[in-house]
Amino acid sequence: MNKFENAVEILKNNLADAIIEFRVPKPRKAYILLKPERHRDAISLLLKHVEDTELSTITGTDLGNEIELNYHMACGGTVTLKNRVSREKPVIRTITDILPGANLYEREVFDLLGVIFDGHPNLKRLMLPDNWPKGQYPLRRDWEPHANQESGSNSEESSQTESAGELDDAGSIINVVMGPQHPVLHEPERFTFKVDGETVVDAEMRLGYVHRGIEKAAERMMYFQDVFLVERICGICNAAHTTCFCQAVEDIGNVETPPRALYLRTIIHELNRVHSHLLLLGVAGHLLGFEALFQHVWRDREPIMDIVERITGNRLMSGFNTIGGVRRDIAPSIVEKARKNVEEVRKRAKFYKTVFEEDLTLRLRTEGVGVLSKSDALKFCVEGPVARGSGIAVDVRKDDPYAAYEEIPFNVICYKECDTWARLMVRAEEVLESLDIIDYALSHIPGGRLRVRVQRKIPEGEAVSRVEAPRGELIHYVKSDGTAYPYRVKVRSPTLANLVAFPEIIRGAYIADIPAVIGSLDPCFSCTDRMVFLDTQNGQRWHWSLDEINNSKNRNGLI
Amino acid sequence: MTTPNVGLLKWARTKSPWLLHFNTGACNGCDIEFVALLTPKYDVERFGVKLVPSPRHADVLVVTGPVTKQCKPRLEMIYQQMPSPKFVVAVGACACSGGIFKDCYGVSGRLDEIIPVDVYIPGCPPKPEAILQGVAMLLEKLKG
Amino acid sequence: MAFDLIFIVRTLVFPGFLFLLMLVLFFDWFERKVAARFQNRMGPTYTGPLGILQPIADYIKLFSKEDITPKQTNKLLFVAAPILAFSLFVFALFYIPIDGSNVVLNSSFEGDLILVLLLVSLANFGIFLSGWASLNPYSGIGATRVLTQFLGYDIPLIILAIGPAFLAKSLSLVTITASQPLPFALLIPWSCVLFVIALQAELEKDPFDIPHAETEIVGGYETEYSGRKLAFIKLSEDFQFLIGAALVTELFLGGSYGPVLFGMPELWHIFWFMVKTIGVVFVLEYVGNVSARLRIDQVVHGNWKLLIPLSILSLALTVIVEPLLRSVIG
Repeated sequence: MNKFENAVEILKNNLADAIIEFRVPKPRKAYILLKPERHRDAISLLLKHVEDTELSTITGTDLGNEIELNYHMACGGTVTLKNRVSREKPVIRTITDILPGANLYEREVFDLLGVIFDGHPNLKRLMLPDNWPKGQYPLRRDWEPHANQESGSNSEESSQTESAGELDDAGSIINVVMGPQHPVLHEPERFTFKVDGETVVDAEMRLGYVHRGIEKAAERMMYFQDVFLVERICGICNAAHTTCFCQAVEDIGNVETPPRALYLRTIIHELNRVHSHLLLLGVAGHLLGFEALFQHVWRDREPIMDIVERITGNRLMSGFNTIGGVRRDIAPSIVEKARKNVEEVRKRAKFYKTVFEEDLTLRLRTEGVGVLSKSDALKFCVEGPVARGSGIAVDVRKDDPYAAYEEIPFNVICYKECDTWARLMVRAEEVLESLDIIDYALSHIPGGRLRVRVQRKIPEGEAVSRVEAPRGELIHYVKSDGTAYPYRVKVRSPTLANLVAFPEIIRGAYIADIPAVIGSLDPCFSCTDRMVFLDTQNGQRWHWSLDEINNSKNRNGLI
Repeated sequence: MTTPNVGLLKWARTKSPWLLHFNTGACNGCDIEFVALLTPKYDVERFGVKLVPSPRHADVLVVTGPVTKQCKPRLEMIYQQMPSPKFVVAVGACACSGGIFKDCYGVSGRLDEIIPVDVYIPGCPPKPEAILQGVAMLLEKLKG
Repeated sequence: MAFDLIFIVRTLVFPGFLFLLMLVLFFDWFERKVAARFQNRMGPTYTGPLGILQPIADYIKLFSKEDITPKQTNKLLFVAAPILAFSLFVFALFYIPIDGSNVVLNSSFEGDLILVLLLVSLANFGIFLSGWASLNPYSGIGATRVLTQFLGYDIPLIILAIGPAFLAKSLSLVTITASQPLPFALLIPWSCVLFVIALQAELEKDPFDIPHAETEIVGGYETEYSGRKLAFIKLSEDFQFLIGAALVTELFLGGSYGPVLFGMPELWHIFWFMVKTIGVVFVLEYVGNVSARLRIDQVVHGNWKLLIPLSILSLALTVIVEPLLRSVIG
């Protein structure tokens, strides 16, 4: 019995009294509605009896008179535990004591929907700015962006702080236009580090860069249009987002995606992974002061961009997937060219793997730095290369295969050293693995249709979809109410999952290690924005960006 | 308070444009394509282009992303800090017009309503070649 | 007689200020090209043949930019510090024999090696002041970093510089260069290698380039400077690089001496000086381009735990080996 079936069995047997509804509509996807407050029992059971279980995310949905909380547990498949609270008094007990990794997800639901998690150690805002008016929850169905954009003085609840030209560098000026959503929210503060001399004592995160009100915007657009919207959540792993979203919608609509489309999706998905990993390895080199490495890796990334452009028409935003299949076909001549480029990149990737294994200065900067033990990694529910660098062999492509992965043989790369070096090595080796997958897929593309025509109106239902994006597990949750517009779209990108563990990793490390550690977590570029530092000894506060730390703005010389 | 754009000075300015990159809330697509300009395949340093750390060292401000309300004051400050003569390049659909996020309320308006823009490079994201062409167009503009 | 034509030409033109300026700009170009080649790129190409006029374009452009003095700076220091640093570096160069003797004829004296090192230290203090006077947190921190790293690595540098002085029985650079029928780099290689490492840290090059902004975002002590003053700061850095390379040439590679084939010996001296210095620059660039940047604690501990003990040992070794080398040196 595999992990998923095991998990389902355990829940059915031990919690029979707590289960209101139990559905397994597709292989490896279970949706279980529980009686109020029984979610803790279910989660504890899963953690105890199923190996390497992690919480993927928590989705909150406004159902009208109730708010539904979906706890998506990753255990060989996805088990979604549902719990409902009333809208007037949305209180539910926290699970952070049994699973610390739920910390940020609960804060997010609190921030955007107003659900109170009883017992949460630090229930503060996560995504919305600090002076966002109280009582305004953007993801509630009755919340509308204010009609009046610039003047907007009608609502007493909101506040507008417009201070052009007077940006106080030591603090953070946040502009809030009252009421509306913030599609490209850019938090001025990302991380707050409490330091004692050179050592980091604690780190706190104030996020929002991933949250752009895209979830709200997605409700306004049709499913087909949303594919292009989710693509632009992140320029680097755009194929993962479209694959994930299309899969979720296809699940709901019971669409049989043709095998040819599945293979083509896989190819683009893997090409995305190769380019993203190479990008990160180059950036890691740059962060560590090794310009030559950065330049060479990015040069060798170009053949991949070339093939992606030939297949999809664009280097980055592929626009390749659509609901029901893919939009373009691949000609045999392009297959030939792709295989040649793959061979070229493979040779270089082998070389870079050796560089990371053997170069002295690189090893000095990355070995033993930013250690995240295996048990901590599980506690914080980290994903992707971060988890695999700490010895946890999870990979959505193996555990919960999608697209064509069931038919393609490949290895899950895992390193036991738990440090920055291990996380970088995982990526270096995964490049080689992905190149093999692409090769195999290119030689085995089945014939047939590219796509199936799908109605604009998607039948009622819900679905969870997970893919292995380059940075880790990406999860989309889509709920449909029978119209052409989604009722709810929830996206949890892997960077968020890994950032939960960041305070743990960085505690006790030097300030100067921060760039290397962040590099190994591989967050989006916009994460290299300013970070706030707080010296515990003299209470001083200052801002540094990632490159500034890198050039060692260490205040107290170690002499 | 700038020196006239003639002769030797014009030559020096067109041969040594120093760039400052500012992301006003982009999805990183344009940023990556911009950074790719520094890499061997495109090698923008051939034209004397250099990426500089501080607005005070820069001649050209390269902006990506739709300008969010948070970023607007910072953007204005950076522009003010740059010494004359200075130029602005908008890279990507979002910087040119707001892109797919145009009607969203977190966006504070078009870039060219906030600071004067000299070159628009459309695309989502524009290829490095397109950005390079934009840079070349800027140099042409510098020549007068 | 001090103020005759030869003095003026030598000081201002050749091998004085103008020549040094051209040399520095040439090194700037050389550095960028070497770095670019290491990174599989072309580097500056279209500004003059092979891009050789690029540094000139850069500096002319900088001089023509608006020169902003931010409100919250210590105005006097802000303006004076870059010029101070620049002048001290140029002055230090005047004591390095380029064509067999110093720029100002007959100005060499016993101890001018110490003078050069002292002037360089003072000039770095000037650079520190420029960052400090900016009254900007990043500049201040960058400036402090420069000073701490420089002062730290100055110690092994001086200790190692004494090696060649000891062998030449003189603290005068002219005498040291003249006492090298075989370059000291071959006779006391350990000193040379360690000196180059210490120099790499002094010049803030990879793997020691922590305080220096070579990435896109940070400005360090230069952050608030623009226009003319920025040009002076950048020129100071370039001049310091030349001094460093020139010191290696003088102390370990026999300075400007080399085979004189025909014509004026002075020109051949300058030629050999340039060749050797470019070789040193290439070595420094090579090391810089194939390593990542060390962390600050690694740099500092490397200095105190490794480099300083090693330089003392190296000096001891030089002293021990000296009688054996006496026959070679003469």
